[in-house]
Amino acid sequence: MSDELDPREFEDTARAVMEACAAAPDGAGRAGLLAEAGLLGVIAPEEVGGLALPLRFAVPVAGAAGAGLLAFPLVESLVLAKALASVDAEEAGRICGGETLATIAWSGVAEDGLVANAPMGEEATKVLIFSADGGAVLAAKSNVVRLETGSDHWDVDAPAASFRCDGPLEGIELDADAVRTLRAEADLLRAAFIHGSAWHCLSLAMDYSQERVQFGRPLSSYQVLRHKMSRDALAAETIKNGVARALSDHGEDENLVRDAAWMNAARLGPAVAENAIQIFGGMGFTWEVPLHRHLRQMRAQAAYGEAADRLEALGHALITSSVNEWYGDTSHAS
Amino acid sequence: MTMAATKDIAATGMEPGAYGARARAWLQENLTDRLRTDRCHDTPATLDELKQFEAALYRAGLAGITWPKAYGGHGLTLREHLEANREIGLAPAPNAVNSIGKELVGPIVLAVGDERQKSEFLPSILNMETIWCQGFSEPGAGSDLAGLRTRVERSADGWRVNGQKIWTSGASKSQRCLLLARTGVPEDRHRGLVLFAVPMDRPGIDVREIRSIDGDRSFCEVFFSDVIVDEADMLGAPDEGWPAATRVLSIERATNRMYRAWRFESELDHLIMACRSDERSLRLLQGYARDLAQVRVEIEMLKGHVETLVASLLAGQEIGPRGSFPKLYWSESHQRFAQIAYEIVSRFPANAGQALRDVKTRMEHLYLHSRAETIYAGTTEIQLDIIGKRILNLSKAA
Repeated sequence: MSDELDPREFEDTARAVMEACAAAPDGAGRAGLLAEAGLLGVIAPEEVGGLALPLRFAVPVAGAAGAGLLAFPLVESLVLAKALASVDAEEAGRICGGETLATIAWSGVAEDGLVANAPMGEEATKVLIFSADGGAVLAAKSNVVRLETGSDHWDVDAPAASFRCDGPLEGIELDADAVRTLRAEADLLRAAFIHGSAWHCLSLAMDYSQERVQFGRPLSSYQVLRHKMSRDALAAETIKNGVARALSDHGEDENLVRDAAWMNAARLGPAVAENAIQIFGGMGFTWEVPLHRHLRQMRAQAAYGEAADRLEALGHALITSSVNEWYGDTSHAS
Repeated sequence: MTMAATKDIAATGMEPGAYGARARAWLQENLTDRLRTDRCHDTPATLDELKQFEAALYRAGLAGITWPKAYGGHGLTLREHLEANREIGLAPAPNAVNSIGKELVGPIVLAVGDERQKSEFLPSILNMETIWCQGFSEPGAGSDLAGLRTRVERSADGWRVNGQKIWTSGASKSQRCLLLARTGVPEDRHRGLVLFAVPMDRPGIDVREIRSIDGDRSFCEVFFSDVIVDEADMLGAPDEGWPAATRVLSIERATNRMYRAWRFESELDHLIMACRSDERSLRLLQGYARDLAQVRVEIEMLKGHVETLVASLLAGQEIGPRGSFPKLYWSESHQRFAQIAYEIVSRFPANAGQALRDVKTRMEHLYLHSRAETIYAGTTEIQLDIIGKRILNLSKAA
């Protein structure tokens, strides 16, 4: 099926659905719209109501969500529907169909007693909680899994919640391998989400710079601002190419290539929003102009994907384990 | 230098990765200590040694990969070119002496040259009989190339050239120059530009080497005083020069020295592995863990830029201004790495062993050399202008 399709064909549909979602009253309403368009099951198997398409087909969907400030745990739904399909097809089907609003608590493990960074956790009925052994449990809210009062409204569109875990969790279990795959897929979808958000910020900045006249000339005529936007275009292109490479048959270390694509997106995306705020001047610093929402959601995604911690870990791993057969002979070393 | 007997590995129908694997095997056999750039040498490899190595690379199927067989090429695709360049990059191999010939002149001759020019120029580039230089920049026309003043006029013997070129890499060792000159006046800007393949032994050509900040003498000033060039050495028709030149430049930005991302990786590997050979330098390196990780991320992103353009070219798409993305990204990220690497090696203990002394020499040179990378082949500022104007279509007018 995927041979006959082009991921770009999903772009227009996804954009239109994101616009419709912006007018929906709540998460359940948005779940319905996304499910109706088939967007929650893009990578899930057909048996659970998904489209069984490769991950690259979910890239434009995640990008449109980032551009459209979607107030919904889309990345989480996409990867959960696929991961759960082989363990609990019914639940996976309910996520694809928009009946279960599920999220993932990206920070902490159940054994800590408190897990956090679960986007839309307040509205979600179920949450995936990681455990110290590398596995995870999709648990319903209960006396054991209790929502901490007051969401973290850093991301104003999809606020994150924390959950108290009191005692052994009950729910659908994912083993460590399934969790590794889920995390890896989420990394690339997050990077795509950030690409959509960053490119939208740049588009807003470009439009504004060509309309706003100062000293008798549009802002876009000033080289310092043109160059700033050119750099942002390079940043967006770099994020896009990084994701595309991770999804291609590149023949290199796939974990490194994917991690790099994610860490790059997490670093460059917010910088594009920051530059757009600067180009908008005073207006850029207002609540009304949506650039801060893009900045917030990209920073939130960077935290969910633990970009800063992973960059540091990569550095130490490089120092201890980089190998290049050309430099293997250290016999002449002191 | 003795090259091991090699078969032409430019076979078709290979599995993905097979071409790269054979390239790796060839390099392991033929990249001798004398040529390796990760070792200190009392006397650097000579031009003859480098030419022999490069000719052997070609015979082994690792250069001229995409050129038609009729003109000495191996008739393969950019996919094999990319595979080979990955391996060349990962190895501490010397930079190509004739990259101007292979990566700039070759494509332009294939695009606008006549049959005689293709048959004469192209094979001699690959077998290293003819090294080329690129006579574009002038003292008054660097970034603003259309401001060039070197003039060609018809004469009884062909064309007469007068003018001056500068920053002409490798001119002192070249046999031909890809010259961009004008038939009219500088005010004509992009009109009246013409390309010539000028033999460098013609009377009236004076080449003066310029010493660069890294101590090398790799680029030159070239003076043309009543130099006569044959009509047959004109590439394309008059007025085709500028479109041909811009095509050359977009190729240069996008595909020139395709091995760069992997060479960059190789330099980082060298730094890390050398530091691992000494406890003190290993501790020093730990303090730069995040910086090194960021460098590695940028290397992977550079590969993404390169592979995206290769995929576009393989799909028959034009690169156009998108060639500015990899050029800008590579030059700046490589400079950042060079700054970090220099800082690290400058802190090596005084009694560092040979492995550290070798990498120190390499990184010091890299640091200085990298300052040129945001200047040549279109400065950073020119790349940013191109992106703003031709990709983002940013308006300049009210």
